[in-house]
Amino acid sequence: MSQSSVAGERLPAAALTVDRRRARRKAAWRRRGLVALFMSPWLVGFTVFFLYPLVMSAYLSFNHYDLLAPPRWVGWANYHYLFRQDPQVWTAIKNTLWLIVVLVPLQIAFAFGLAVMLTRARMGAGVFRTVFYLPALAPPVAATLAFVYILNPVTGPVNVLLGHLGIQGPLWFQDPHWSKPSLVGLGLWGVGTIMIIFLAAVLDVPRQLYESAELDGANTFQRMRWVTLPTISPVILFAVVLGVIQGLQYFTQAYVAAGVAAGQASQAADVTAVNLGYPQDSTLFYPVLLYEHGFTDFQMGYASAMAMLLLAVSFAVTLVIILNSKRWVHVAGPAR
Amino acid sequence: MRRVGTAIVALAALALLVVGAAMSSPRATPEAKSAPTKLTVWVGWSARELSVFKRVVAEYDKNNPNVTVDVVGSINDNKIVAAIRAGTAPDVVSSFNSYNVGVYCGTGGWINLAPLMAKDHISAGMFPAATQYYTQYNGVRCALPLLADTYGLYYNKTLFKAAGITSPPKTMSELAADAKKLTVRSSNGTVKVAGFDPVIGFYENVPERWITSFGGKWQDANGNSILSKDPAWTKWLTWQKSLVDWYGYNNLVRFQAGLGDEFSASNAFEAGKLAMNLDGEWRVAFIQAEHPNLNYGTAPMPVDDAHPELYGSGYINGTIIGIPKNGKHTAEAWALVKYLTTNSHALAELSNGLRNVPTTKASAVSPEIKPDAHFATFIKIFTNPKSTTSPITAAGVAYTNLVQHFATQWQAGQVKNLHSGLVSLDKQLDALVHQAKGPGVP
Amino acid sequence: MTTATAEPAAAPRRPPARVRRRRALAAVADHSILIAAAIAFLVPFVFMLLTALMSDSQALSPRLWPHPFRWSNFVDVFTKAPFMTWIGNTLMYSVLATIGVVVSSIPVAYALARMRWRGREAAFVIVLVALMLPPQVTVVPLYVMWAKIHPFGLNFIGTLWPVIIPAWFGDAFSIFLLRQFFLTIPEEYLDAARVDGCGEIRILTTVVVRLAKPAIAAVALFSFLYTFNDFFLPLLYTGESPNHWVLSIGLSEFRSLHQVQWNLTMAATLLVMAPVIVIFFLAQRVFVEGVTLTGVKG
Repeated sequence: MSQSSVAGERLPAAALTVDRRRARRKAAWRRRGLVALFMSPWLVGFTVFFLYPLVMSAYLSFNHYDLLAPPRWVGWANYHYLFRQDPQVWTAIKNTLWLIVVLVPLQIAFAFGLAVMLTRARMGAGVFRTVFYLPALAPPVAATLAFVYILNPVTGPVNVLLGHLGIQGPLWFQDPHWSKPSLVGLGLWGVGTIMIIFLAAVLDVPRQLYESAELDGANTFQRMRWVTLPTISPVILFAVVLGVIQGLQYFTQAYVAAGVAAGQASQAADVTAVNLGYPQDSTLFYPVLLYEHGFTDFQMGYASAMAMLLLAVSFAVTLVIILNSKRWVHVAGPAR
Repeated sequence: MRRVGTAIVALAALALLVVGAAMSSPRATPEAKSAPTKLTVWVGWSARELSVFKRVVAEYDKNNPNVTVDVVGSINDNKIVAAIRAGTAPDVVSSFNSYNVGVYCGTGGWINLAPLMAKDHISAGMFPAATQYYTQYNGVRCALPLLADTYGLYYNKTLFKAAGITSPPKTMSELAADAKKLTVRSSNGTVKVAGFDPVIGFYENVPERWITSFGGKWQDANGNSILSKDPAWTKWLTWQKSLVDWYGYNNLVRFQAGLGDEFSASNAFEAGKLAMNLDGEWRVAFIQAEHPNLNYGTAPMPVDDAHPELYGSGYINGTIIGIPKNGKHTAEAWALVKYLTTNSHALAELSNGLRNVPTTKASAVSPEIKPDAHFATFIKIFTNPKSTTSPITAAGVAYTNLVQHFATQWQAGQVKNLHSGLVSLDKQLDALVHQAKGPGVP
Repeated sequence: MTTATAEPAAAPRRPPARVRRRRALAAVADHSILIAAAIAFLVPFVFMLLTALMSDSQALSPRLWPHPFRWSNFVDVFTKAPFMTWIGNTLMYSVLATIGVVVSSIPVAYALARMRWRGREAAFVIVLVALMLPPQVTVVPLYVMWAKIHPFGLNFIGTLWPVIIPAWFGDAFSIFLLRQFFLTIPEEYLDAARVDGCGEIRILTTVVVRLAKPAIAAVALFSFLYTFNDFFLPLLYTGESPNHWVLSIGLSEFRSLHQVQWNLTMAATLLVMAPVIVIFFLAQRVFVEGVTLTGVKG
């Protein structure tokens, strides 16, 4: 990476006169001032909207706080309840982990498969690309409403069609064994963004790598395994990290789906607390539980403790993934 | 330099934009002394019911020229707490359920009404005992009841006649038997018409409305949860699951998925898909408005076979009304609250229009109440001394929600051993209350 | 993006029939899978459209085909609910936030890419760290902060300002994207400008911005798309003030008395998606280029 040079020349120090040195220093200070100016929006934003809430959140996690009365110091009580006594927190953790372990690999595999097929398609690749990308443009709330409606066990078109074929369709969002897979289906429907990224990455693989592999006698699958995948491994890493981060923050779809499926169809934006996680806590993900405790039970202090745990896990997981990635990610050198 | 100047001007313009746009949100401004005091009231009602409330308030408005009252509907507890914490709370606020009285009174979010009541010689004895219980916490009364809800059995007389049943069930075994007789299945085994839907979480089916029929208690004298110790809970849950299993749990879920929204005109009972239903007294007004030709009857909920003396009682809960803290017009707000909660005429008007139960002993027997055979059942349930309500704890609605969570797992067959499940539930409930209070608080 | 190297000079020979047949079969197989996948992807849209054209009672029944076609539903969406208000709120939020993101992220990205200073790499890592933080972690204290600030006696809670204002202080994703692109601007362009006597600010606003138009357009589009669909934060801050609702919140409000009107809800959903899809069609290339900038060079 080339570095910007200072306005002015670069001469050996011995040749600089005192004036020149003073000018250099002033220029250096002006440059630092400029850097500070350019970085200032982010600096302010980072401090106010990231550091401050982070520190406050840590502080509140040791307090009992419901916003109607001032915070009251309770020490480790919130963490004690979190790790030992909250009857729903382990379900929430398991659900979030399930989602990450199932949805992220499926999304990546599915997106990769679609991208590879798009590269091999002769006709209409542009049309297919558009069709696959469209659902990713749909607002998450709208997409969720649509899916819950379409998968209604009695009146939804999917089960009606299955009924015509003589199959009694599952209860989808009403069945605790099918509710998370239904959400996975929703997630796969929206895989367009990752697919486009993979498509560009696959198209970027240098042709002669394939040709030399072919010369060595590799067939299609071997070429994919030994040429394509390693070359795009940085992109795969990016998708994995992104997917994990999104999984740890998964809220909107679960919130809307639970409320609507529980029969609270009229209030998808205002789900009664008892319906969160419907059915039977199968869609109770960690951020949903955090929201419930903080914003409907008004246990702000406890929600902060939950948030601290989420933060620790996010860092740990991301770190693990990135450290682990050195083993399988090939940093691309310049194409030869 | 010109660029910097432009930047400063742009930032200033932006700041003005921010200020200007934010100022467009309505804010209460201090009144001139001659203008009437403007009060804002938040209530949970909406649509038809809201217009009834507004009518009663309009009457108060007319008779009190020194105040004008603005009514906002469709409010729920989340909005109330959010407003209190943001400092934008109205002068008077009302909530559909009393679950959160523990939070409101305990934190002072709603002010203590006792001194105001003492000054105006309003004694708590004007209100029936059950309503007194759910409007105070730890001796602090921060709310008053404003119309109550009682729950009983609605039954479809047409379907009864077709099945040869002459009178509504009085015991749980009769209820189960009638439900089975009234159920109609379609050719592929799915439920077409259900005699009764016992699934917890469906419509108004929640644990607190069922346990009164079994005489169950929630807490002992020390406030500890006793669900595993009081045999009523085991009895109820066992009975409930046997009926669920008769239908098949998944069959019921499938059946429910095809039903109309509870508060729509396609309500399952009103549409004839449900022969019997546990519902509140307000359903009378809904049926009147949406399905006036429905041939139905009302009765108290059936009770445990072993406790026939409980028959006639039911679950009571109600709308509560109070004054948020940091309000600006406490005196005028209290005058309005006093009128709405103790004036028999106002209560009778509200009761007639909303078909909710009027909440003072005097208004319950007021001649202004429009006689209605269906509705009379619920007034009787309200005045029955054995009727009960939900426990009020510092944990608010989370308390009964936890019990409901357990019940939904139980009915789906996910709890292997009922007794040990209830023992853990007791522990969880006690821990929940302890956590909600925060350590260091008795 | 790397391009393919030169093809072999000789004209391609026609491969033997067996190979040709195998390739043809593979092509058909690929296409049929693609077609099947495309159908699967479009099916939900088709159902949504069919439902949007039904009457209310038909939408609740197991019927699949509307009869008659109620195109008036799309008009009803505007009359039954304050759809225009929601559109206005959403546009205000999206436009203001997008402008904020672009204006604030460009200088930061430039400083991280093309200015030399100590701690630059560390700062970049810290910027990325903000990406990894789930919003639920910071949301509680931020909400408390906005609730307690009352400059000039104004309330922030109940308005969209708590979600708009942070956009003017840089967005980690946009900074990341812009930085990657700025790194591809040849140093010679910038040096030439410096030799001409331009200060860094001038370089940024004239040279860099002009060269980076595709990336900036991509950032703007991504920001717009993201804020257009944002649900959680607007819900938190304006959940109790219906006249500040955005489209994603209002979408669930199509009901009469207490019942969801699924036909109107679906019609509203399609209406909400329509502008986004139109924007995509018009700017497909920018989208794809912008998206690949994040992944390929990341």
